[in-house]
Amino acid sequence: MITNNRQSKSNETLMQAVFFMSALISVIAVLAICLFLLMRGIPAIGEIGFLDFIFSEKWGPTNTPASYGILSMIVGSIYVTAGAIVIGVPIGLLCAIFLAEFCPERLYKIVKPAVNLLAGIPSIIFGFFGMEIIVPFVREAYGGNGFSIMSSSIILGIMILPTIISISESSIRAVPESYKEGSYGVGATKEETVFKVVVPAAKSGIFTSIILGIGRAIGETMAVVMVAGNAVMPLSKIKLLKPIRTLTTNIVMEMSYASGLHEESLIATGVVLFVFIIILNTALSLIKARTNRN
Amino acid sequence: MEVSNKDINNLRLRKIKSIIFKAIVWLCGILTVGILVYILLFILIRGLPKINMEFLFGEYNSKNLSAFSSIVTTIEMIVISLLISVPIGVFCAIYLTEYSKRGNKAVKVIRLAVDTLAGIPSIIYGLFGMIFFVNVLGFRASVISGIGTISIMILPVIISSSEEAIKSVPDTYREGSYGLGATRLRTVFKIVLPTAIPGILAGVILAIGRIVGETAALIFTSGTNVMKEPTLNLFASQRTLAIHMYMLATEGLPHSKDMAFATGSILILIVFLINFATTKLAGRLGRLNDGK
Amino acid sequence: MDKINNLNYEFKGETIKMKKTKKLVGIITLVLMLSFVLMGCTQTDNKETPNNTENQNTPNNTNTEAPNFDSKKDITVVARDSASGTRGAFHEIMKIKVKEGDTEVDKLVVGALEFDGTDKVITAVEGDKYAIGYISLGSVSNRITAAKVDGVEPTVANVISGDYTVSRPFLLVTKGEESELVKDFIEFTQSKQGQDITNEMKFVGAAESPAEYAASGLSGTIKVAGSTSVTPLMEKLQEAYTALNPGVTFEMQSNGSSQGIKAAMDGSYDIGMSSRELKDEEASELNRHVLAIDGIAVIINNENPVNDLSSENITDIYTGEKTTWAEVQ
Repeated sequence: MITNNRQSKSNETLMQAVFFMSALISVIAVLAICLFLLMRGIPAIGEIGFLDFIFSEKWGPTNTPASYGILSMIVGSIYVTAGAIVIGVPIGLLCAIFLAEFCPERLYKIVKPAVNLLAGIPSIIFGFFGMEIIVPFVREAYGGNGFSIMSSSIILGIMILPTIISISESSIRAVPESYKEGSYGVGATKEETVFKVVVPAAKSGIFTSIILGIGRAIGETMAVVMVAGNAVMPLSKIKLLKPIRTLTTNIVMEMSYASGLHEESLIATGVVLFVFIIILNTALSLIKARTNRN
Repeated sequence: MEVSNKDINNLRLRKIKSIIFKAIVWLCGILTVGILVYILLFILIRGLPKINMEFLFGEYNSKNLSAFSSIVTTIEMIVISLLISVPIGVFCAIYLTEYSKRGNKAVKVIRLAVDTLAGIPSIIYGLFGMIFFVNVLGFRASVISGIGTISIMILPVIISSSEEAIKSVPDTYREGSYGLGATRLRTVFKIVLPTAIPGILAGVILAIGRIVGETAALIFTSGTNVMKEPTLNLFASQRTLAIHMYMLATEGLPHSKDMAFATGSILILIVFLINFATTKLAGRLGRLNDGK
Repeated sequence: MDKINNLNYEFKGETIKMKKTKKLVGIITLVLMLSFVLMGCTQTDNKETPNNTENQNTPNNTNTEAPNFDSKKDITVVARDSASGTRGAFHEIMKIKVKEGDTEVDKLVVGALEFDGTDKVITAVEGDKYAIGYISLGSVSNRITAAKVDGVEPTVANVISGDYTVSRPFLLVTKGEESELVKDFIEFTQSKQGQDITNEMKFVGAAESPAEYAASGLSGTIKVAGSTSVTPLMEKLQEAYTALNPGVTFEMQSNGSSQGIKAAMDGSYDIGMSSRELKDEEASELNRHVLAIDGIAVIINNENPVNDLSSENITDIYTGEKTTWAEVQ
């Protein structure tokens, strides 16, 4: 009896250690990703010069002498992401309101799975759709050659819809019934209640969804590379209907052949993208901490 | 009198505003479904008629851009990376829910790490995989490099869904088990995990979806090679279905665009299947919780 | 009695369920129909727009041949990514990339689209009336028009005769002593069978007097990496070769000429494929085999009335000196 007990106790300690080790693996993974990216990226930034790398718009790695400035891509990523937010957030938010407040139950059984399905569609299919449908549409409707900031923004706007919709919807649903009752009590219509009481109350969840949307848009690669046109544009010539190159597409376009400093500079491009992601993650945890305090 | 007239006008205005708002909200809901249906029809209408036995199970050559080899590679990649990630992810979730004390520093760090992993875009995973598995470990562009990369990528999905599932197991179950004299370990494996299985499975299926659709993280790690006939060689470079589609949309071989549509249709059918399965599981989980 | 009651109850449940599913199906069909209508709208829109522009443009553009083509609009310049051997060769031949002493600058016009694959270039030119691009001659199809360069039609015959000058070699490169298997495969590519396949693919075989190849019966794996332009030809050659030598398997990465050369140099692949000439420092380290000569076709949209371009004009378009088709004519 005693030995049995001791055995089960040692089993318990052993498994506890196994659980802990498994939990540590994600920490190790994050550290490894940071370490290897920085190890390969930072020396390159040092060699190119931090200012020449971040604040120069000249990208010509195959020229002699080569130039490695990624300002144009940084700005490109920001523009494309902002465009995606302008398109995706209003539609997504209103769709979330629709799902949470206005949707008849039977219709809900169609719209909700549709949103989930949209979330599951691979980015390569969005890219293909963009190249075959959105690009010709933009070309016909707005001029230019179609491969543009606008097309990328539309595609990314569609891609972030499910993120925005599902998180906003659950935060709208989490608003206590008593808030609404109070609003109805003073004679507000349902629409007014939703707009003036429910949405403000669900604000932190909505912000969370927007930040997650930004993260998805700024990190998206394969869909953008097919619709953005991938031209490196000087800042003064960046226009809504002109092509653009983002941080992610710069990596995927050139990595396959790059070598030496060029390859390192692409990894450094990844480091810059990583910094953006860290900033977004920090914002996210700040929001989380604030809601928890409240 | 005047005041009440104004009130009526005001009310009318409010009503009109309300109706407009309602209309816009409905429109956005329908628009979302419309976009989805448009994308699906666009791919399926041109792709489905192109799918035949030769395409699905034939030998890959320049005339028949068969997806057989890439389908097998995709399945191989799913199975092995799940074998790696599911135990790690579930154990991590067990640690976070059952074994850690509240406010533990380690737990905070681990949670932060999981959140960070979830937010990293796939191109960064691709870069990391290329540096670590392809160069440092010397696996070159191969299925095993792809598996390594993708296993890390799906870890946060599995951890968070397992954690949710384990948390939703009612405490009364645990108390009952302890009351019968079971140890904590026994309780976890005999009571908590079996109850949480539908939720864990839902996470696993989400992870499968991520693997199937992944391109950016795999293009530099498992490469773009395609074999005439499928092999399970882990150290050879092989493309998955999504990369097959990307290459077909890029290469400029005759008929490659039609075949890209066909590959896209297969991808969409898989996504359908995955969504159907998760909904079913989520439904079961919901009933289970209601039944407590 | 109880049983019957139960049955009845179940039956009722069933009908209620059926009603529900019927409604659901109804709603689904409604949504489907709606989206069909939406699609129909966009499609007719697309068809209508050219007609409209036609009506508006015809009176204004009496001087151009095609009524649908507004030659005052900006040219859409389409280029390949810098990994591409096609780009390397084309930009060098057309003097888009200029060497001046120690410096070498690619003067590709700002805003030129860059794509990492032949099919994307074709798609971009196919869909845009004002676009110009360049692809391997072997990939030309009726989706686009291959323009004459300096009055010479881009055909295999003209590449062989040397009249069509926009061409580059397809190279296979290896490092150091080649294994028996690699040697045998390269021999096959230079043989009569190999060259027949090459010519069939609209490339120009480079071997002077190809010999008949006899199966060697070797076995093993050959790892090949490099140019996306060479890949389609390489796939055909590999198929024919494995048909003769069933023991041989191939592993192929289609990832750009520079990457193929790099892979051959560091020994991670047996053969590198390149669609551009080697740089001096590369040539000193590698064995070079010319697989074929490939013409580079300058492609324009099927609706473009221009079909003959001088090489100066091509250079001007690609460096941004000329920005509309009116200036070219």
